[in-house]
Amino acid sequence: MVEVGDRLLGYATDPNVRSKGASGGLVTAVLAAALEKGLVEGVVILKRIDEYEAVPVITDDVQEVLSSGGSMHAVPVNLAKYVVGKKVAMPGKPCDVRGVIEQAKRNSVDLSNTYIVGLNCGGSMHPVLTKEMLIKMYEIDPEDVVGEEIEKGKLIFKTKSGEEKSISIDKLEEEGYGRRESCRYCDVKIPVSADLACGNWGVIGELAGNATFCEVMNEKGKLLLDTAIEAGYVEVRPADEKSISIREKVNSAMLKLGDEWKEKVFDEIPDKDRLKYYIDQFADCIDCGACKEVCPVCSCGPDSKCTMFHSLADNYKMSMYHMVRLLHLSDSCIGCGQCADVCPVDIPVTTIFRRFANPAQKNRNYMPGMDLKRPPFLEVMLK
Amino acid sequence: MKESIYQTVCPGCGIGCGLYIREDNQGAVSIDFFKSNPVNLGKLCRFGMKLPHYFSSGAFCKADEPSSMEGAIRDAAARLKGAEKVAMLSVGNTTCEEHMAFERIAKTLGSAVHTGIQAYSKLPPECHSYLEGMPFQDIEKANKIVLFIDPYVQYPLLVRRLLAAKRNNSHIISVGTKELHLADENLSITPNEYSQLGLDSNSVIITDLHPHTDANDIIQLLNLSLETGAKILTMKPFVSSEGVNRISKVKTTSKGLSQMMDEVKKGNIRTLVLLDSDPIELMPDTDETVKSLKKLDNLIVISSRKSPVNEIADVVISTEPLYRKAGTFMNTEGRIQENSGTGVTGINAMSSLNKELGSEEFEYGQLHEQVMAALTNEGQKSGYSKIKNLATAKQCTGGYVLKYLYNPFMWFNQLDDNDFVLINLNMVRSLKLKKGGQISLTSENGNIKMRYRVEGMPDGLILTARKLPIAIAGTTSVKVEGC
Repeated sequence: MVEVGDRLLGYATDPNVRSKGASGGLVTAVLAAALEKGLVEGVVILKRIDEYEAVPVITDDVQEVLSSGGSMHAVPVNLAKYVVGKKVAMPGKPCDVRGVIEQAKRNSVDLSNTYIVGLNCGGSMHPVLTKEMLIKMYEIDPEDVVGEEIEKGKLIFKTKSGEEKSISIDKLEEEGYGRRESCRYCDVKIPVSADLACGNWGVIGELAGNATFCEVMNEKGKLLLDTAIEAGYVEVRPADEKSISIREKVNSAMLKLGDEWKEKVFDEIPDKDRLKYYIDQFADCIDCGACKEVCPVCSCGPDSKCTMFHSLADNYKMSMYHMVRLLHLSDSCIGCGQCADVCPVDIPVTTIFRRFANPAQKNRNYMPGMDLKRPPFLEVMLK
Repeated sequence: MKESIYQTVCPGCGIGCGLYIREDNQGAVSIDFFKSNPVNLGKLCRFGMKLPHYFSSGAFCKADEPSSMEGAIRDAAARLKGAEKVAMLSVGNTTCEEHMAFERIAKTLGSAVHTGIQAYSKLPPECHSYLEGMPFQDIEKANKIVLFIDPYVQYPLLVRRLLAAKRNNSHIISVGTKELHLADENLSITPNEYSQLGLDSNSVIITDLHPHTDANDIIQLLNLSLETGAKILTMKPFVSSEGVNRISKVKTTSKGLSQMMDEVKKGNIRTLVLLDSDPIELMPDTDETVKSLKKLDNLIVISSRKSPVNEIADVVISTEPLYRKAGTFMNTEGRIQENSGTGVTGINAMSSLNKELGSEEFEYGQLHEQVMAALTNEGQKSGYSKIKNLATAKQCTGGYVLKYLYNPFMWFNQLDDNDFVLINLNMVRSLKLKKGGQISLTSENGNIKMRYRVEGMPDGLILTARKLPIAIAGTTSVKVEGC
């Protein structure tokens, strides 16, 4: 039996799952056990198409869950909207978890039915840029890649021939590659609002590369892990002080780097230029609505304020759609980057929205998606 | 909780944006972003985002009922046996394999498949290969780009390529009727003034080729390309436009859509067979088109979606939705793309029809091989000489002119809020139009009141991105009043 607050090192007991899954396959095994033992009706998994492409699907097949392991840094999806209205378990980066919690504040997700195994995240990458980076920076054929990992500030790719090549993330980002912009300035690296917070930071010595550091964040996390242990899917042991301290150190270093990026990205715009900045940024918008559709914290549905106040026939210099969204998301934007990823005219939507949301959230000392204790400052919390 | 995921291509235009279609066990359809797709990085325009609506409009369900399918095939065969004055149309709105199967039926009938684009038959054959696509990435490297289209409205996923070109210091000129935000210059010039554009071999001309393209417009641009060395990127309106035009065996004699409808009206075409091509959607004058089609002895439709022509067809052979089909597309840049779907209902139906008509059956595999051979056949480009202009039909001039901005996405009767026209500020002031008011447009086809948006445009011009019932052609003379 584990306890809330426990910090553990663990891995899957099945050797295949352990070797296939990232860091010992603990997350895969926990999700499979939750399904097998009836805690949930389905599990959100990433159905792998290749190293750079995967599609989120919900499955009720334990074997499909067990075969879905492996980290995919070049698949930048946010899973929050996939759990809406369902009794499922899901793995999730901090931004996935924060999206689910924002949905829960608006009663779109029932957290008592949703189990989240959080994954530490230093950032994800865009698949097409990653392929270009592999050719130019690593001199590797993208088709030869069989695995990737981030370790000690380096991005490592493994090839079919067993070769490993690593380049520092700083260098990659100087060249315009590496993590997506929103990941660079993200300020949550360990998913403390999930039920379990898992990752490879702090896994050292003989366990390095084949075990997971797992922190039990709440009662649901305890239930998840106990279920997996009782079902014989995972084995755990307490993490020692050295592991705990290394994990904290990595987290602090990542957050510091994030703060530096924030300084770079959000340079001051003089008051007199601010309106022009926002008008110019959205001038090429083609009104596809993808930024709303993909937003993990938006739960308004198709007939929402931003769409109903907006018409293509308008003569506004900046569309009401964006004006309403800038305001509406100022209390809930988590900066996950999905809107910028899908923007068909490459508007840096996330950065623009963070520019608007950063001061509003900072002034109120409010971080969306962290817990259900504080309501959004512009809305009544339904939960 | 089982979901099916299909990797497919958006049927909105010829750009070929990749996406996933998610289908749950209740049959509900949603889209997902295919971020590693090199064409669009998973990004979609307004049409792509509304694909669940496009795919859920349903007539194709009939295909799930074998007796209905068999009956439709027998009925179609009975009508086609001995039919005279048969014409076949496939604009490229389905897989290349289905188009190839349609070609097989045409051969059995001693007929030919037309793609609806007459411009090909008006141009010297040696020019055709210059209208094939070029890699979209080449746009980003051009020093100068001249646009003869409105990318925001017609081909929105081109906008990001143009903006990337701008970041690479490309100079963008729009030659057209509306000022474009991304253009460095917006010019309203005639072909005689094209020398002002200052093009060279590092320039790219972007135009489009669709069923209503005036061949003279293409001739002028081919001549401009010849004189300056600038490359031409010809955008195409359908998911397989590029593919079917490469497969097409009758390009030099291909009939245009308007020409076909004229022949239907005159009785020179008595039986029309359509493969995922709806003249009612594609022709500017809906009522006139319906009236003409009703004169046919036989109207046979093979279709994967519900569209207006199904309602008046004598026979509808309904196939699975596009995303579920096995098959290949070729986009405007000449890239071959494949569906992950395995559905062959359409192919099998056409195979059975061919057999009923007394010829041999065929299978998907054979057609796919043929398609790949045709699409990967890199023919040599031979040079062409300056082309003479053709005689042109009289254009609408003077007074007010309503112009239909030929927008692929509006063809499918999508839910859309393009229910307004574009006019310039002078017109607003002269008609004393109020904010939030309407403009009244009257043609010989009737009257319509429309909301308006103000754009930088020439005086007297009214643009619409939606096919309006008062239109009688691509450009229509209208009277205007404030209201």
